[in-house]
Amino acid sequence: MHAEIARIQSMLGGEGYVADREIATAVYLSRSLRKPLLIEGAAGVGKTEVAKVMARALGTDLIRLQCYEGLDATTALYEWNYQKQLLHIRLTEASDRTVEQREQEIFSEGFLLKRPLLEAITRESAPVLLVDEIDRADSEFEAFLLEVLSDFQVTIPEIGTIRAVTTPYVVLTSNRTRELGDALRRRCLYLWIDYPAFEKELQIVLSKVPGINADLAAQVAGFMQLVRQARLEKTPGIAETIDWGAALLALHRDHLDRDVLEETLGVLFKSQEDARVVRTQWLDLWLRGLERLRAEPRPWSQAVLERIAVEGALRR
Amino acid sequence: MSPARTRSGNLAANLVAFVRLLRGRGLPVGPREAADALRALAAVDLLDRREVYLTLRAVLANAREHFLLFDQAFREFWGAPEDEAAFPGMEPDGPAEVLEDAEQVVREWLAAAEDRESEDDSAESPGYSPVDVLTRKDFSALTADELDAITALVGQIARRVATRLSRRMRAVRRSHLLDMRRTVRHSLRRGGEIMELLRRRRRLQKTQVVLLCDVSGSMDLYSRFLVQFVFALQHAVSRVETFVFSTSLTRVTDALSDVELRRALDRVARTVPNWSGGTKIGVSLRQFLEAHGRRLLGDRTVVIIISDGWDTGDVDVLEGAMRELNRRSARVIWLNPLLGSVGYEPLCQGMRAALPHVDVFASAHNLDSLRRLGRHLALR
Repeated sequence: MHAEIARIQSMLGGEGYVADREIATAVYLSRSLRKPLLIEGAAGVGKTEVAKVMARALGTDLIRLQCYEGLDATTALYEWNYQKQLLHIRLTEASDRTVEQREQEIFSEGFLLKRPLLEAITRESAPVLLVDEIDRADSEFEAFLLEVLSDFQVTIPEIGTIRAVTTPYVVLTSNRTRELGDALRRRCLYLWIDYPAFEKELQIVLSKVPGINADLAAQVAGFMQLVRQARLEKTPGIAETIDWGAALLALHRDHLDRDVLEETLGVLFKSQEDARVVRTQWLDLWLRGLERLRAEPRPWSQAVLERIAVEGALRR
Repeated sequence: MSPARTRSGNLAANLVAFVRLLRGRGLPVGPREAADALRALAAVDLLDRREVYLTLRAVLANAREHFLLFDQAFREFWGAPEDEAAFPGMEPDGPAEVLEDAEQVVREWLAAAEDRESEDDSAESPGYSPVDVLTRKDFSALTADELDAITALVGQIARRVATRLSRRMRAVRRSHLLDMRRTVRHSLRRGGEIMELLRRRRRLQKTQVVLLCDVSGSMDLYSRFLVQFVFALQHAVSRVETFVFSTSLTRVTDALSDVELRRALDRVARTVPNWSGGTKIGVSLRQFLEAHGRRLLGDRTVVIIISDGWDTGDVDVLEGAMRELNRRSARVIWLNPLLGSVGYEPLCQGMRAALPHVDVFASAHNLDSLRRLGRHLALR
């Protein structure tokens, strides 16, 4: 392994993010090739976390642009400070400057409000720019973003062209609610983050739920592997695993049984339909799977869990 | 393309050959990606196979759907990514080689292109891939294993088709937004007094999709897929109304709205009285026009009819209904699963009567044809 990739992996680890080689390699390449990193994967696998941790590890700022339907260039790039402009117009009312001069004054940099994209390219030291959930923005915005990302310059009609002082590290995330254009994909390096395997999730639980004992952590991580075999409206992600671990800890439980599961089901399954299906169809199967798992010699592994899932007819 | 033929000690040449192989398999990569890949390789440990694999994948496979093809090509060209041994032809010849990467890659690319022109073009055309073969195979000629694979693909395609749709039909919640920039500029002329609020206008575009799906006996096999397609489409698009018909029409939008396909299909089966019976297309369409036409038809409505056109009813009724349907909607698309069969011509009476009133007559016998459907759905 390249020394720098190993360093990034341990750096991310130091920030409490359990990164496997794929993630560390992608972050490293994005940094050394200076290409945006497009991260896809199901909700709750820690896509956004990558950018946050990257910023902390690089010791630089994180600038976040949260995308939503209808997001347009004004909200993402810059806006004029209207209150200040109006005030200025009033204050200069009595002056003998012409309308044209006054117009020029209020459309100068002092009246400009920087939004995330402009902010990101005008910083002295390169920040991490996180374009979160790009799939939620319209395709028009995607095209606009592509333009900014290829030139790293922005033209404001009233002022002129603003060039990037430094090139930001760009991370884009997508939940795939909309297919992204090929042009944007080709501009980026690509990283797919899957739900973690048992070993990785165990590590995450141990590092993110301080005070949890190793045995309970293994049961939690193992149980999540069984849960993710079921087809639900919303498969619980890593965030849910961590919340659940913390909830169990707060309830002083160190053993998973039916009572404790029913008590804490709401932490894992957040839609009513899922909660119902889990109670009626899955809970018994999962508990049986858990019993089988406990009978296995430790440490448990992903392979063992997959075998249990197949044997217990948990895969659906 | 045989790796042995192209394999030399030159990293750039091998990489170009590999990228061309990927391109031949349908991945959207070209000289720019090849140059990036070479730059990326220069930055990692070439003796670490897994690292090389992850690096090339990050640069060259930029959608998860491409991973399978990428892995396969990688294995063929460089060997298994898990192998501990170093790559043949991956040893760097010297630092100088890697430095002028971009330029060299482009030169290699062009040279390879010339080679190919003088040989034959077969390597450049989309090569064999299991997915490819599956997507071109007629639904009626599939084995049980293939059916499962197809099911997953159908859902994927429907989502993609829906994506194309929703760009155009997305409802805009606030169609009139305040345009502060112009408002302030305008107020200057009145000494900063805002007399008038200027607004930005947004185009309001909503497309209504109406699906009319034939579930009569002659369509039996196809219907299973098409209903899946319809199910996936309905869950991906907000304004879809779905009806099935054989001898009469049944609205199944609500039945299909169940989040689980199997339960939805059960509900549909229970709602529809004559699944897989004979076909009276004309009567069914007439029924649709009368009961739902006023609410659903208009100049932003796309009507999709999925049927083989084997009508056992009155042809005149069918013709009249089609004429009216065409007049009252923006577009009528007829998907015919038989259109894909070799030698099929729309000769059956029903189909012949309907055809003049159809804007798009397309096949729906395999996945490829469903994929192409997206093109016809967006209204200007």
